[in-house]
Amino acid sequence: MVSYIVFLLVIAGIYALLAQSLCLAWGVTGLVNLGLAGFFAIGAYASATVVKWGGAPVPLGLLAALAAGAIAGFVVCVSTLRLRDDYLAIVTLGFAEAVRVVASNEIWLTGGTDGISGIPAGLPRDWGQGFHLASLAAVSAVVGAVWLALRRLVASPWGRALRAVREDQVVAAVAGKRVTRLKAEAFAISAAIAALAGALYGHYTSYIAPEIFQPLVTIYVFLAVTAGGNGRPTGATVGAYLLIAFLEATRFAAEVVPGVSALQAAALREMAVGVALILLLRFRQRGIFPELNQKAPA
Amino acid sequence: MFGQLLVAGIVHGLIIGLAALAVTLVFGIARFPNAAAGDTMTAGAYAGLVAHKASGSLLVAGGAAVAASGLISLLGYLLVFRPLARRPVASLLVAAIGVAFLIRAALGIVFGHQQQVFQVPLAWPIEVAGIRIPPMDLTLAGVAACALAGAFGVLYLTSIGRQMRAVADDPDLARVSGIRPMRVMVTLWLLAGAAAGIAGLMLGVKTVVAPEMGWEGLLSAFAAAILGGIGSPVGAVAAGLLLGIAQEISTPYVGFTYKIALSFAVMLAVLLFRPRGLFGRVEGVR
Repeated sequence: MVSYIVFLLVIAGIYALLAQSLCLAWGVTGLVNLGLAGFFAIGAYASATVVKWGGAPVPLGLLAALAAGAIAGFVVCVSTLRLRDDYLAIVTLGFAEAVRVVASNEIWLTGGTDGISGIPAGLPRDWGQGFHLASLAAVSAVVGAVWLALRRLVASPWGRALRAVREDQVVAAVAGKRVTRLKAEAFAISAAIAALAGALYGHYTSYIAPEIFQPLVTIYVFLAVTAGGNGRPTGATVGAYLLIAFLEATRFAAEVVPGVSALQAAALREMAVGVALILLLRFRQRGIFPELNQKAPA
Repeated sequence: MFGQLLVAGIVHGLIIGLAALAVTLVFGIARFPNAAAGDTMTAGAYAGLVAHKASGSLLVAGGAAVAASGLISLLGYLLVFRPLARRPVASLLVAAIGVAFLIRAALGIVFGHQQQVFQVPLAWPIEVAGIRIPPMDLTLAGVAACALAGAFGVLYLTSIGRQMRAVADDPDLARVSGIRPMRVMVTLWLLAGAAAGIAGLMLGVKTVVAPEMGWEGLLSAFAAAILGGIGSPVGAVAAGLLLGIAQEISTPYVGFTYKIALSFAVMLAVLLFRPRGLFGRVEGVR
């Protein structure tokens, strides 16, 4: 039981990183990233490749994931930054699908649908419980560090400019903010955070495959961020832990209710996720931790 | 070989074109990319499948697909998108994703996740100038042509169609000219749903019916809508045909699995070099 809870907390931490990524792109800057699962995958594959085949230490793998995510984020957003923001959303959607197709077919690089197994963790796996606790500490530390960094960034003049871009790009441009550049920076940083989450996931579970990076992951993160409050890193982080609690609780509920097969239960849960997302957007758009109005500096 | 692929591409292109028509109408008039369009297609395919099993007639199946998808599309508008109309585009888009998952999960619960097929009679292909054309392809092309004729008839020959195009051009001007937004929106969502339903039915007949089919077809529909120019119905259909033919003809070179990636590449190229597409206006940040 304890090891199960530790496992869940690690996974929740990885979702918290994804939620923080989406918080920066969508909540703060207004850029909808429907390709979160794609950036998650890019990071996982980048780090796994560098560490397993290149023999690099894990921290170097994480750095590689950050770099790969930032570059991928920049490339994806650069084609649409001068257009309306919904074009970016469509492109990110396509990006995630394209990543999955490439990962399934370029066997020489990604192992195809078999995936990559035996990814080193950087911590000895034969510690048993100790391994999971150490992983929890490491992942939680990363979540905390990203949370602190995001809070600083969002409260900084740069973060204020991002919110101005979100509210009205014309006004932001008139006020002398470089809108295109700000959006590209925010999106690239956000993509790098998602990629970092992917790298941590791969090293912790030791196995990655294309079917892990389903669009469903992206929807889960949207639900988490919407529930927690999309404009604040705190809200996104708390939302992710709540999401995992919700998903696990419904899993147990499905086991208790008679006459529901595992597949039906999974579909019912997906339905609940869709309904919850719609209801939250309709009635509680600002989430549990609404964005705070900041006083203008004197 | 080339002619064979061309025929397959035209049928596939009509499917993409119809789906893209649904996407581009909503994008042009309600002004957000409707990510639920793909799953509206799936709903049409399942409705058609049930009707086809019960009646054995493809015509009845088409009617059921149009009715089911139109209804789902309208319900989506009334229950989800209309209350959110004043919100940022991002909220509408995320809500559309929620709707998409809701539809897909509901279909999964009701019909299960196994792939199902339309039981259509096998027939000898007709040979025209050395190209073998399956009769079913001719039937489907006919169905698509009728659906397109109907949709364009509504758009260009009726008063409500003119009003829809007016709203697409300039919502504020349309409003002060006395056009009732509610009527326009209801027609829009019914029309978009019906087009998606026919597309889903055709896709189901050509391939298999499964809960994921629409979501997987969504990217091609978006790509065609962008290539054709957002808000341009003619562009959507033309781009759908182009994309369908390109996907089929490229199959011998890049392989079956990279069809999706081809849509993505086309989309990126269009957005980079000609964001207004073939027939559209530019929707830039002013």
